[in-house]
Amino acid sequence: MKMDREKEEKRYKSGLLRSLWPYNFNVERYTYTLHRITGVILILYLIAHVFEIYHLALGPAAWQQTMALLGSLGIWEKIGLWIIAGSALYHGANGLRLILNEAFGILLGKPVLPEYPYTPTSLSRNQKIAIYVIVLIVEALWIWAGIYLLWGLGII
Amino acid sequence: MKVRIRRFDGQKEWWQDYEIDAKPSDTVLDILNRIREKHDHTLAFRQSCQMGSCGSCGMVINGLPALACQTRIGELKTESIRLEPLYNYKVIKDLVVDLTDFVNKHRSVKPWMIRKNPEELEEASMEFQVTPDQNLTFVQFDYCIMCGVCLAACPTVAIDPLFLGPQALGQAYRYIADPRDEGFEERIEVLDDSHGVWRCHFAGACSYVCPKGVDPAKAIQYLKKEILKYRLLHKKKASVKPAELVQKAPPANAPKPPPFDFKIEGGE
Repeated sequence: MKMDREKEEKRYKSGLLRSLWPYNFNVERYTYTLHRITGVILILYLIAHVFEIYHLALGPAAWQQTMALLGSLGIWEKIGLWIIAGSALYHGANGLRLILNEAFGILLGKPVLPEYPYTPTSLSRNQKIAIYVIVLIVEALWIWAGIYLLWGLGII
Repeated sequence: MKVRIRRFDGQKEWWQDYEIDAKPSDTVLDILNRIREKHDHTLAFRQSCQMGSCGSCGMVINGLPALACQTRIGELKTESIRLEPLYNYKVIKDLVVDLTDFVNKHRSVKPWMIRKNPEELEEASMEFQVTPDQNLTFVQFDYCIMCGVCLAACPTVAIDPLFLGPQALGQAYRYIADPRDEGFEERIEVLDDSHGVWRCHFAGACSYVCPKGVDPAKAIQYLKKEILKYRLLHKKKASVKPAELVQKAPPANAPKPPPFDFKIEGGE
């Protein structure tokens, strides 16, 4: 019988969806997923922002046209900016936590002799506290950013 | 109790349900053995020690990678069990996965003691000693049983098959942290790469599922710290890519090696 080579070489349940699906796992894996998604949003925003700024070089008429196009989006422009602000806040704050972990070894705990029930020190209470503090700060600043943007629209 | 198993026969995949009598004290491996003995002898799975030492029975139990011999039915607290082969591996049959890439990745980080003068190991005049405090800096990572569960949980392995993975990187740190080892410069070419330590973004899932408490995520973060320190002091760049060092599994249509000749010289 001829073997279907592609099917045989397929890795079971791998790919982008598997990578971003944190269900059943630890809190850190949820932060990982959010970090990736916010990173993609920021990259897309940066590309769009460079494209927007590029119109400055085309003269005042082109710039006015771009501004008019963005202004015509109305509340959706503000919602977009709010999502970008939230992404930047989370990505920055969580990025700082990761730099502390990776470059300085902070919040990881020291190597220990494994003892049942094998609670990993790198995912210990300190790590969780750092995550919850980040989430609280980001939430507070994000709400403030939302109020600020809506105020700019004259809604508040 | 209903047991749902992901089956694969080399051609097609399907879910198969079994109805089994089970006690809360039974392990998932007990259930699998019961299915194979009484219900379906075609079911394939790996097992050996049945006590969490060999690492053969890694599989995904209710969506979480774990050892079947260490998971009791009572702990699961569910009416039914869903069993799948480990994620991110090629499946050979049913719950048996191909560990070739996994072992090659492990080998690529040179998981053995390296001395600058190899003769020291061949003709050692005295024992290489470590103090209990020094031992504590790496012994945690020495508990790895190579079950492969961490790679099934790792979200980065899911999108980058060339990523060395938590097991290999954890073992690299085990030897690098060992004061008797002098192989850091030999290993750094493989580790300091886009498919090496820097591909890890610390999701911590490997440490969360590790059945022996090895905490590979911690080892990888410490490894990053060591590599950063080394690069800042030495300013050397990596020249070899791990993709070149990791041997790939032979393709499915590759000619098979000749069968081993069991004849003994002088015998019949």
